[in-house]
Amino acid sequence: MDLLVQGIVTGVLIGGLYALMSIGLSLSWGALKIINLAHFSFILLSAYLVYQLAISFSVNPLLLTLVVVPLFFVIGALMQVLIHRAKLDEFKSLIVTFGLFIILQSMIQTIWSADFRRIGSEVNVFEGGSIRLGDITLPYPVLLAFIASVAIAVAMSLVLSRTYFGKAVRAVAQDAEMARAFGIDPNRVAVLLSGVATAISALAGVFIAIGQALWPGLAVSWFGIVFPVVILGGLGNTMGALTAGVMVGVAAGVASVVWGPISAPLVTFVILIAALLFRPHGLITARSVA
Amino acid sequence: MKRNRSWRLLAVFSVLALVVAACGDGDEGGDTTAPPGTEATDDTEATDDTEATDDTEAPSEPTGDPIRIGGSLALTGFLSATAVIHEAVGNVFVDRINEQGGLLGRPVEWVLLDDESVPENSAAAYERLITEDEVDLVIGPYGTGNITSAMAVAERYGYVFPHHTASLTYAYNYQCHFSSWSTGLHPNITNPNLVYDAVESSGNTPETIGFVINEFPGTQFIAYGEPGTDEGGAVAQAEERGYEVVLEVDFPTAITDWAPIAESVADADPDFLYIGGLGVNASELINAMNAIDYSPRGMFTQWPAPGPLLQTDGADGIMSVTIFEEHPPFTDDPEAVEVAALINDALADAGVPYTKVETQAAASWTAWEYLQQAAEGAGSLDQQEMCDYLVENGAQTLFHGDIEFYPDEQNYFEDLSKVKQVQDGEWYVVYPEEFAAPDRGVVYPRG
Repeated sequence: MDLLVQGIVTGVLIGGLYALMSIGLSLSWGALKIINLAHFSFILLSAYLVYQLAISFSVNPLLLTLVVVPLFFVIGALMQVLIHRAKLDEFKSLIVTFGLFIILQSMIQTIWSADFRRIGSEVNVFEGGSIRLGDITLPYPVLLAFIASVAIAVAMSLVLSRTYFGKAVRAVAQDAEMARAFGIDPNRVAVLLSGVATAISALAGVFIAIGQALWPGLAVSWFGIVFPVVILGGLGNTMGALTAGVMVGVAAGVASVVWGPISAPLVTFVILIAALLFRPHGLITARSVA
Repeated sequence: MKRNRSWRLLAVFSVLALVVAACGDGDEGGDTTAPPGTEATDDTEATDDTEATDDTEAPSEPTGDPIRIGGSLALTGFLSATAVIHEAVGNVFVDRINEQGGLLGRPVEWVLLDDESVPENSAAAYERLITEDEVDLVIGPYGTGNITSAMAVAERYGYVFPHHTASLTYAYNYQCHFSSWSTGLHPNITNPNLVYDAVESSGNTPETIGFVINEFPGTQFIAYGEPGTDEGGAVAQAEERGYEVVLEVDFPTAITDWAPIAESVADADPDFLYIGGLGVNASELINAMNAIDYSPRGMFTQWPAPGPLLQTDGADGIMSVTIFEEHPPFTDDPEAVEVAALINDALADAGVPYTKVETQAAASWTAWEYLQQAAEGAGSLDQQEMCDYLVENGAQTLFHGDIEFYPDEQNYFEDLSKVKQVQDGEWYVVYPEEFAAPDRGVVYPRG
């Protein structure tokens, strides 16, 4: 029983990390109609930068959030400027960002080699650490990611629903030309949103660097997690992404404990297929910007 | 880039050779300028390299058309973290052989393609290398799937096929394949027994054992034996020894969440944990176990990335298997030390954080040695003659010693694996005793 409870708890926590990795893609796909495959490379690149800075300057990797998040905001904004100039539609964005994904992966491999990299415990104070609640253990890396994920999901949900910028994003997502008629600059909104989405990806990269070893091919293994979470959560729906992330994390965690880890991807995709059949717009659609 | 470096080295060597020739006596100068060819190869057979070096006889500069050796490696993709070691070792070997007079007196050129870690790409690469590029020789790629695919192509065209670290030994029955990984034909029996012997040599025999096995075919084979047979593997061997198997968990190759496995291990609490893992699997599992404050009393991992494991908190005492480690008695041979230093530098240049020579680098070097000795021994590049030479004469290798290939064992030789253990933040061979690092022995249970 303890094993199952622990499996559920860690499933919830790692679901937060999944959500954090998915929110940026969900926003750019839902609101900007950009299926940004480079999103995965941005997470990985952020993780590598955190790794490099942490070991080079012996800095607590969590503090490097202050470096990578603003940096990737700028990168995301610049990418959107280029995408806008190239007039990419949804399908073309998939192709172009896939190319960018490959380029960034190659760049990462060129700089850091293909070998595994890990922030050593002398710098990474969170490695292997945890908080205990009775018999239940809350590992630091995923606990921190979960807290950040909840904060980001709630904050973005509030921003999108209650601020002028959020309303502008939703207006642009629904009809950019009509939004322009009401005085909204769709390009400016898109640039800002792309920056925010990429900055959130960078934040996910911080927690990846804290929690595990890095290698250039790592990003590919996230496709099978992030896409189900984005689709289950509903495009552009940050709270939906959080819910879906937790759902996938718990389902995979429980399946791992009960039927073994090999069943985890199977369960994830069964949920995804069921959702596509019965809730094709995502589990939660009320707060979606799409 | 690689070719430029080779040519630079060649140019530097040529100048040095001229200086040596100018300063030396007439006989040495004559030898240096003698045109290389079959006769030179016969000389090579008669005297080994060390003797030539001791005589301070400068090797002839290779001349003629280069011998082109084709191969693919996983320069990108999920196998690239390890394939980079094979790339670095191959470059060192080719540079060195060219510095030492080439192969059959001709310069050697390595035609390297990227198979992107995809077995089908590997097969296509060897097809291209053999039929379009018309390479003279081939050397195997990295990765079990890629090697298996490429071997089929090599067999179709009758090419001698040395390869480094393919794990499905039972599947390779091509008469001219030569594995340089000293696992023997039945590593599913010999490898686990070596590990269990090592553990028991501590005087403490585990009563219970847990298995956490990657679903990768090679680790499945070691753990459970050849599919479709009742030969068994690590699990069956443990049971035969009377260990109680309290946990058997298989996990997917692309796993993202280690917490459930860590929880299962903690729940079963085995005396000894056998991780049939690759790369950073063991590191990630140890981290996940650390996070729930669980630490196994003894651990083994099959084929880890050695560097990251050393950096993992809680890894001290974990065991693995190896061919070679950079400490005595392995470093008693000065040539091994010299080559290891070259490989260390090449790995550092390639940006690899852990630069020491161990299983991957040693197996890689050995595969190149097979190819060199097959050609030199046969005195030609005729594939069948080269194949026959290796089968009949075996090979003299730097990291494995003298090897004899057994055709009735699918050209495999004995399992020469050793057990190594992380102690005080370094890897040391601890078993068998005659290969153990000075003042080191098996520590079980872990401290």
